[in-house]
Amino acid sequence: MQYWINHNGVQSGPVDLDAMKEMNLTSRAYVWREGLGDWVKITQMPELQGYYEMISDPAAPQQQPAAEQQPANSQATMGQPYQPQPAQPQYAQPQPASTEPCPPTNLVWAIISTVLCCIPTGIVAIIYALKVSNKYREGDIEGAKRASEVGAWWCIATIILGIIVQPFMSMLPAMMASMGN
Amino acid sequence: MRRSLIIILAVAALLVFGFIYYALDPSQSGVFPRCTFLTLTGYKCPGCGSQRAIHALMHGDIAGAFRFNALLLISIPWITLCLYAEAQRTRNPRLYARLNSPLLIWLFLVMVLLWWLLRNIFNW
Repeated sequence: MQYWINHNGVQSGPVDLDAMKEMNLTSRAYVWREGLGDWVKITQMPELQGYYEMISDPAAPQQQPAAEQQPANSQATMGQPYQPQPAQPQYAQPQPASTEPCPPTNLVWAIISTVLCCIPTGIVAIIYALKVSNKYREGDIEGAKRASEVGAWWCIATIILGIIVQPFMSMLPAMMASMGN
Repeated sequence: MRRSLIIILAVAALLVFGFIYYALDPSQSGVFPRCTFLTLTGYKCPGCGSQRAIHALMHGDIAGAFRFNALLLISIPWITLCLYAEAQRTRNPRLYARLNSPLLIWLFLVMVLLWWLLRNIFNW
């Protein structure tokens, strides 16, 4: 039995079962052989049951390179009789499959500072929360982290203005009046 | 250790402020700060009326709270949910991501801006 492999967007094969086990594959690879309608996750192959689940994945998910390699590879294998594409390419999911969690959007603090601190700069913090969320969705983790940091400062500034400067400002007329007397 | 100290301080502050806002009526008493934005521009900000709304809410007057600041009343369930998601962020990142989706943040942003605009036009 011959197997074709798609590992992180790189295709290889045909190889036999023992050769495939020798290859440095991880649980993220997809496999196809005759008799299968489409690519199957390597962990779901009946003849490999339990073999790849034990192998942890050392490589960080490299979404971008994998996506770029995809078209080049399918062209190279045009001569093959049947080369179906992976059923669920991980980089095409709407939510990033990367294990990196979303950086804090500070949305709660933005809402609290807008509603409770009575300072309209809280709205800027909400806009930065939106920026974090959008950039994270686009896969721009670095940009999301930067927006998260700026947004956090807007929250802090709004809260300080609200609970320290504002009471002082509202006492000002009374103080001026007492000084005038 | 540091975390529990922060929680104790936060709960203590919440109790003190809770007592002040329960006992004193912001529309009567002069000890409460006035909105700087309203003083400077003459226009209400999205948070104006929150102190009176909190006082009304603590006395069970939900309709009154809605009249003082409708945005505050609408935000309370949202804030509660978001705080829960924040606390569960490492355990349940999906809930956090869902609550912080661009669509929901957009929705809140539009709501705040509309509220700000309309309350100054209709004097809510």
